[in-house]
Amino acid sequence: MGNIFSSIFGKLWGINKDIRILILGLDGAGKTTILYKLQMGEVVKTKPTIGFNVETLTYKNISINMWDLGGQTSIRPYWRCYYANTAAVIFVVDSTDKERIDVAKKELHMMLKEEELTESALLVFANKQDQPGALTAAEVSKALGLVDLKDRSWSIVASSAIKGEGLTEGLDWLIDVIKEEQM
Amino acid sequence: MSTHSYKKFEDSDSGALPDKMTVYQECLQAFNASPVQAKRCRLLLSRLLRLLYAGETFPRVEATNMFFSISKLFHHNDASLRQLVYLATKELCAISDDILMATASIMKDIQNGEIVYKPNAVRTLARVLDGTTIHAAERAMRNCVVDKNPNVSSAALVSSYHLLPVAKDVVKRWTNETQEAITSNKSFPDSQYSTHEHYGNNKLLSTTYTYQYHALGLLYQLRNHDKMALMKMIQQFDSQPLRSSLATVQLIRYVGQLIEEDGDLTQPLWRFFPVWLKNKSDMVELEAAKTILSLPKFTSDQQMQAIGTLQVLLSVPRTVTRFAAVRILNRIAMKNPQKIMVCNIELEGMINDSNRSVSTYAITTLLKTGNSENVDRLVKTISGFMDDISDEFKIIVIDAIRTLSLKFPEKHKSMLNFLNDVLRDEGGFVFKNAIIEAIFDISKFIPSSRELALEMLCEFIEDCEYTELAVRVLHLLGDEGPKTSNPTLYIRHIYNRVVLENSIVRSSAVIALSKFALIGDESITKSIKVLLERCLQDVDDEVRDRAALSLKLLSTKDIEQAKNFITPTFKYSLPILEQQLSLYVKSNDKSSFEYPFDIKTIPTMTEEEAKTAEFKEKTTVYDESSIHVDSSKKDKEEKLNESTKEAMLQQQYSHDFAAIPEIAAYGTLLHSSVAVELTEKETEFVVTAVKHIFENHVVIQYNIENTLTDIQLEDVSVVSLPEVDDYSEEFLMPIDVLKPQTKGSIYVSFTRPESIETSSFTNTLSYTSKDIDPSTGEPADEEEGFPDEYQIEDLSITPGDFIIPSFTGNFTLAWDDLDNEESAVFNLGDVPSGGLQEVVDRLIKTLSMMACESTDIVSASASHVLKLYGKSIHGEKIAAIIRLAASSKGIMMKNQVRSSDANLSELVANHIE
Repeated sequence: MGNIFSSIFGKLWGINKDIRILILGLDGAGKTTILYKLQMGEVVKTKPTIGFNVETLTYKNISINMWDLGGQTSIRPYWRCYYANTAAVIFVVDSTDKERIDVAKKELHMMLKEEELTESALLVFANKQDQPGALTAAEVSKALGLVDLKDRSWSIVASSAIKGEGLTEGLDWLIDVIKEEQM
Repeated sequence: MSTHSYKKFEDSDSGALPDKMTVYQECLQAFNASPVQAKRCRLLLSRLLRLLYAGETFPRVEATNMFFSISKLFHHNDASLRQLVYLATKELCAISDDILMATASIMKDIQNGEIVYKPNAVRTLARVLDGTTIHAAERAMRNCVVDKNPNVSSAALVSSYHLLPVAKDVVKRWTNETQEAITSNKSFPDSQYSTHEHYGNNKLLSTTYTYQYHALGLLYQLRNHDKMALMKMIQQFDSQPLRSSLATVQLIRYVGQLIEEDGDLTQPLWRFFPVWLKNKSDMVELEAAKTILSLPKFTSDQQMQAIGTLQVLLSVPRTVTRFAAVRILNRIAMKNPQKIMVCNIELEGMINDSNRSVSTYAITTLLKTGNSENVDRLVKTISGFMDDISDEFKIIVIDAIRTLSLKFPEKHKSMLNFLNDVLRDEGGFVFKNAIIEAIFDISKFIPSSRELALEMLCEFIEDCEYTELAVRVLHLLGDEGPKTSNPTLYIRHIYNRVVLENSIVRSSAVIALSKFALIGDESITKSIKVLLERCLQDVDDEVRDRAALSLKLLSTKDIEQAKNFITPTFKYSLPILEQQLSLYVKSNDKSSFEYPFDIKTIPTMTEEEAKTAEFKEKTTVYDESSIHVDSSKKDKEEKLNESTKEAMLQQQYSHDFAAIPEIAAYGTLLHSSVAVELTEKETEFVVTAVKHIFENHVVIQYNIENTLTDIQLEDVSVVSLPEVDDYSEEFLMPIDVLKPQTKGSIYVSFTRPESIETSSFTNTLSYTSKDIDPSTGEPADEEEGFPDEYQIEDLSITPGDFIIPSFTGNFTLAWDDLDNEESAVFNLGDVPSGGLQEVVDRLIKTLSMMACESTDIVSASASHVLKLYGKSIHGEKIAAIIRLAASSKGIMMKNQVRSSDANLSELVANHIE
């Protein structure tokens, strides 16, 4: 049934290809945890991702290819190999890691300059809100300089991947934006 | 892309490779598309793989692009697509950068992917990992090694093997898992096909146990540095024998290696062999038999068991097995023909085997085991047979005949007749050359066959299509012809060549003719001169030149001088001449060209010495090749030139001594012994000694190797005390500094009594040792070191040091010619593990004499007669007959020695180690 619906909706919205979403961010931000929390609904034990994880998940009858790319310094240069045909980027920030927020900002802006990503929407998760001393979404937004972004649909959501808070809200927003743009 | 080229590679039978750039473009396009079309991608990947497997490659940038595109296919969950993705990724790993990007995805599949592609994932992972990322994969790999699916386990084991050079210490931690895999009992999962009606009774195998082979290979790599661990590994298969034949064969090879390195392990490890010899798999039985028969320390009882197994295998219906079995027996036949006599009935039955390779081996084996009774019959059988086999096998037969005739000189007549017959057959150069070689050998080493052989060769060159062979035969006729009773016979044959052949043959015929002029018979000399004068009219200048030179020499009054030129009594040692010439030409020092090359520095050999060397080479090559069949080719080449190497070594010594003025003054080096070990091979300082005999002096060269890594030796010398007063020390040349892991030589010189005198020397190594500072590799400045001494074994000067092995064609004659007979009887004590053969080998080595009439090979286990011949450094002849008999009381040895020097025969007779 789901398949039929999605194909009907797909036709309705003119979407006849998979939606491709990248999950990026510094190492240890919680990208892999978010991916599997969204896909399986549970928290898995993760190891630093050498390379990438890719999962297909169906959300609200839409099939999404989620690419979680490793965040280690050695792997960041290869992000660009996967930018093509990307509908949206989810950028995950460890809200407790105040020292490296500048690095995150640099990586984010460098990525957004890429031509292949000019059409993609941006969702930022200010992750690890369950931890004490975490920056709020507003503080993260300021630190990342999100307000300076022009010509791009973006949003920031406070989240905790472990508790599952904020993830669906963020994804809902993202799907709405993608639907709008595709229509 | 044109339809034409597209169609061409669509057709898989055409054999044409798809266009590289087309495949590249199409792949990138399809793999980056969204959504992915699994079927099309599979097709493209298979095309890419076809290119890669055919050896095509891509530049790095393109390969990397391709790698990243393929990695994007991971989001599609089609199992067959994934399998191809792995195959392609595995190939690209070698030519692409940044391959670590695939790691996480592969790891996920290994942990919870489908069984179809799991083994592929494991194998690809091994290519992706490097020293830093291997830790992340450790857990997963361990799990796969012990996976209950044999395919996954095998893949993980082989991958671990390949990871050894990447991260040996990590893989070492997987030893327990590997151990578990080797003993486990894995089977393939039930497949729908196994019950499918199409397969009927022919059910698919439930397991092959091949993983045991892989596990064993890995385990060996993990443990081969440690003999005890290896022994433990082997011993566990006592209670739990391996089920895979491949693994068992591999295990036998490992056991064989262990035994080869340490002969003392032979008997402790023997207990495994009886089971292997009765294994249900042919290859295990063959491998076990081969190992037993190629290693020296198995008892003859044990060897007989192996031969028994081979005997059974000779009559199995499987051709490959029969071939392998008869080939092993053939090898043994070279060394120990009497051992395989038991198989003669089976071998006779195989003479008419439908497989020609098997039958040829059977016949040559029989020829080698032949005794004087059945040789004639075998030779007859084989003559009817020669037309059916290829040149390659004919050569094997010829070689066998040659060995046989050297072994049974009295049978030379039928052998020569056989060779003569085959010589008339059609055949290529290599084949004819082998026959000619065989006839040459027979005529050289069996004097009584000479005239018959020469006659055959004369007939042969009447109609010989190969210039090279004709030249060789003419040379031999020139050398041997004048020595026969009726030399004029050959002159006609040789002169015929001058009339009928091409210029190369003609010129060598001229030289051969002129040799006949020196016999001393006036009428012959006169006719030769007439013939040579006719040659002066030849159209070819080389022929004319040679004829003119010969005539000039013959017309001189001094017949001795002519002899020196035409039939020189000595030969230059060619390998040394070659070496010296190339040294001369390559010299960087220009001044060395001011002087012409000095031929006098090249040692010469008399004809007799050359013969000795040649005979030794011919017989030893046979023995060596039978033992060291497995050793690499390079090894073999070295063996081939053993006698040459000896000559080179001697030359090297002389060269070294020429540089030391004190020793150079002693005159020419008369004889150098082989190196004697004075310490165990594993000690801190390894010492060997070489005894050099001069006219009035003995120089002992102590070669010292410092095997320590952190100690430097200084002022190293040997305190060497002779037991007999006749030897007195002249001087000692110590080593000033011996750095860690280097070698050096100390020379100690003694005056020696005029007569041959034996003595033993007690030796003590003395030195000052200093610790090395690891940072500089030098000892610290203030380090004084402390003096130390190191006891090494005694060294004896034996009669053998004064004897040079030499060849005699007729031992009985040589024996009867000599007098001064001395004899002695000894009890040598218990039989060593190598049996009488070991005793014989040692005797030949210590007495430094040549074994005659093939008596160096022991054929019976209880008794043996060894006949030895040699010459002393003063040219005195010496012959010895040594009778050995083994009994429960030990080995009894009776020496009978005759020599032209009474003192020498007494010394040799009474010498015992």
